[in-house]
Amino acid sequence: MSPLLEAIDVSKNYGSFSALKNVSLEFFENETVAIVGPNGAGKTTFVNVLTGLLKPTQGEVIFLGQSIAGVGPVKLSQYGMARAFQLVQIFPQLTVQETIVAAVISQKKKQYDFWSRSLNDKELVDRALEVANIFKLGKKMNWQASYLSQGEKKLLDIASAFALSPQVILLDEPTSGISTADKRGIMDTLMSAAKLAGIKAMLLVEHDMELVAEYSTRIVALAEGKLLADLPPKEFFASEELQAKIIGKKVHHA
Amino acid sequence: MKFKPLLILVVLIFALCMVPFVLPAYYVTLVLPAIAYGIALIGFNLLFGYTGLLSFGHALYIALGAYTVAIFTSRLGITSMELNILAAVLCSMVIAIPIGLLCVRYVRIFFGMLTLAFGMLFHSFLFKFYELTGGDSGIKVIRPHLFGQDLSHLDKTAYLIGPFFYYSLFLLLIFGFIMWRMVNSPLGNHLKTIRDNPRKAEYLGVKVHQFRLISFVISAMYGAVGGALLVVPVGLADPELAYWTHSGNIVFMTILGGFNHFFGPIVGAFAFIGLKDQLVTLTQYWRFALGVVLVLLVILLPGGIMGLLSKKNSPNRGGD
Amino acid sequence: MTAYLDIILSGIFHAAVLFLIAGGLQLVFGVQKIVNLACGAFYALGAYFGITMVGLAIKYGISQELLIFILLISGIVIGLIGVVIERLLRLVYDREEGFQLLLTFAIMLLLEDVIRMIWGATPKTLGNLSMVYGQITLGSISIPNYKLLVIFASVALALGLGWILQKTKFGKIVRATAENRRMSEALGVNVIWINVVIFTLGSILGTIGGALVVPTSAASLEMISEVVVEAFAVVVIGGLGSMRGALVGALIVGLMRAFAVHVYAELELLLIYLIVIAVLIFKPNGLYGKAAE
Repeated sequence: MSPLLEAIDVSKNYGSFSALKNVSLEFFENETVAIVGPNGAGKTTFVNVLTGLLKPTQGEVIFLGQSIAGVGPVKLSQYGMARAFQLVQIFPQLTVQETIVAAVISQKKKQYDFWSRSLNDKELVDRALEVANIFKLGKKMNWQASYLSQGEKKLLDIASAFALSPQVILLDEPTSGISTADKRGIMDTLMSAAKLAGIKAMLLVEHDMELVAEYSTRIVALAEGKLLADLPPKEFFASEELQAKIIGKKVHHA
Repeated sequence: MKFKPLLILVVLIFALCMVPFVLPAYYVTLVLPAIAYGIALIGFNLLFGYTGLLSFGHALYIALGAYTVAIFTSRLGITSMELNILAAVLCSMVIAIPIGLLCVRYVRIFFGMLTLAFGMLFHSFLFKFYELTGGDSGIKVIRPHLFGQDLSHLDKTAYLIGPFFYYSLFLLLIFGFIMWRMVNSPLGNHLKTIRDNPRKAEYLGVKVHQFRLISFVISAMYGAVGGALLVVPVGLADPELAYWTHSGNIVFMTILGGFNHFFGPIVGAFAFIGLKDQLVTLTQYWRFALGVVLVLLVILLPGGIMGLLSKKNSPNRGGD
Repeated sequence: MTAYLDIILSGIFHAAVLFLIAGGLQLVFGVQKIVNLACGAFYALGAYFGITMVGLAIKYGISQELLIFILLISGIVIGLIGVVIERLLRLVYDREEGFQLLLTFAIMLLLEDVIRMIWGATPKTLGNLSMVYGQITLGSISIPNYKLLVIFASVALALGLGWILQKTKFGKIVRATAENRRMSEALGVNVIWINVVIFTLGSILGTIGGALVVPTSAASLEMISEVVVEAFAVVVIGGLGSMRGALVGALIVGLMRAFAVHVYAELELLLIYLIVIAVLIFKPNGLYGKAAE
């Protein structure tokens, strides 16, 4: 099976400082990959290179057969990859519906239509509702985004990314800012959403190792700009050495 | 659109149609620039209220439209108003594209400064190049023919409060309708995302840079149409139309009416002109009064008139 | 060629006055991040008030030799109105810059009519008082010593400001607040007081500029919007927020204007604005400014 997304010998230097050193990784269908590592490990840099935000100093990033090095967010979405960030990003004055519709408009390439009433367009509205329902926001379609709860805003942020019908989605700390009690709820919603939305692979940057243990199929660990480990959870958590390096304490997993 | 607002709109349009029959000629001629500014301002607000870019140089395009009509009618002998408006639209498009390409690379204060700079550049050009632009005397505007009708048998006032009034109103309705469709379209949706969170918009596939340019150019074209209408009653296009304080007044008018609402700019145009007219008759220090209005607006009522009206109607929460 | 000397001196004089206005703009922008569109109104206030004060001085038999000092003091005194205006501006510190800009625009409208109310709409001059210190003659050109004094005063003010900003504790606090207001607040700096002082200082610079210029040109209501046009050019070329930029920008604009007027009058402002646009495109920070976008 050929990889959906791959980083080939990627390095990123800032002057004399090496943020990433020769990282090679492949991501396949049906994976939920957790990207972990201490802060300053090059995680963010790697993810930015992987999603076309940064051009690597050396190496390539291939997505569905196309080079996406440094293409930027707009092209990235066109190629079929979506990304959501740690800090919740919404459109304060737009409704839930308008927010999700924006993504659907991009996906269906209708953005140059300056005449049709977008909220009368069945194709747009139905698809938006479909996505909203996956994230349990269907009842709040007419709500202005700024009035949603913090958790709902997060879901909206992610829902709009899903509405792009991407093949691969990368989420930066999807549960950050969410109370511990709600974290699993969000993760469960994400998992079923991914299935329903036809996402082929999900990449998560995550610090909460308990969630990582529970939800990921594969753990990629970065430290000091280098790939430290690329293992399924069982093996990852079996290694005390790895755990010490990444988190500094033992995690009890199911 | 929902029933009640539609009804209000129909009533207002009807009321406007009745204006020449009901109000004395003086007030009818006051409504003319209100209509012209109404068109120019809904263009301005596409850029500001819907795309989030505050231009301090919108007057450039109003002046451009005005001078186009002036040159066409008095120097080129083209009296068809339709051709004049078409020329104004094309001219503004041609000029707005390169200016827009430069300006939309920046946002916020730098965008404001660049647009102001271009406005002043155009002003100095109009002011200094006497041969081309008539310098500070400007260029005359010959009364144009409306829909091919030579109405020279009417005296100036009859022309203005009669055929020209309805012509202007007609244009306001047409251009207003087009803008309405635009802001409610997928294009409009993307513009709003750019306004609210350009970075997130990019990640949703919105072509931020390109769409800012599109918004800029459309806004300019509307400004030019407004300028074309504005200048006919006056009979003269002069450089002060492009001065930076004129751009400042445009922002004032839009905020007065309410930049968060589609009809805000039109309301603002009427309110400003009406207000100014009343103030000028009341006191020679009308600028001060306007200044006070603007201060109160900025500090207490940033949503403008429409902001005040909408707050009364709908609840704060979710829903419509 | 002495003709060039004439142009250069003329340009430097113009620059000296422009520096004061632009310097005021830069101070306010640098610390408070507000572009003060009303700067022209302060300039005009200084001009009108200066004329009034000089008129009074003459009436009370004060020596004409004290002209420049009277004007300097007038400028400082009327500039204190900044304290009141700042109070108003304070209401929008936490608002979007568009609204801040609009408020300064409103202040400009208010001040214009205040001036109109007090001094009327016709321009006022100080007659021939620019010659009160005599003039220097170099070959075929002559320049009033007054202009040289103004240049000297402007330079002195520039140096004084520079010294305050770089060498004093107060200056350090101001620069820190300009860089990071929150941090400054967190460190216990009384930012409210800083805002009052800086804005007033900025206004005073503007009013001094207006006061110093009146012996050589008329005080008129047109000044209010016209000076903004040039001051704006200076600030963009020099770089928003930079005092050094105000100095260099003022020199460039002043000299450019002097040359343009002499060579090809049509070009005057047009040339300056082409440069402004070029700077905004290729080096949006200006020559010394802080981060763009």
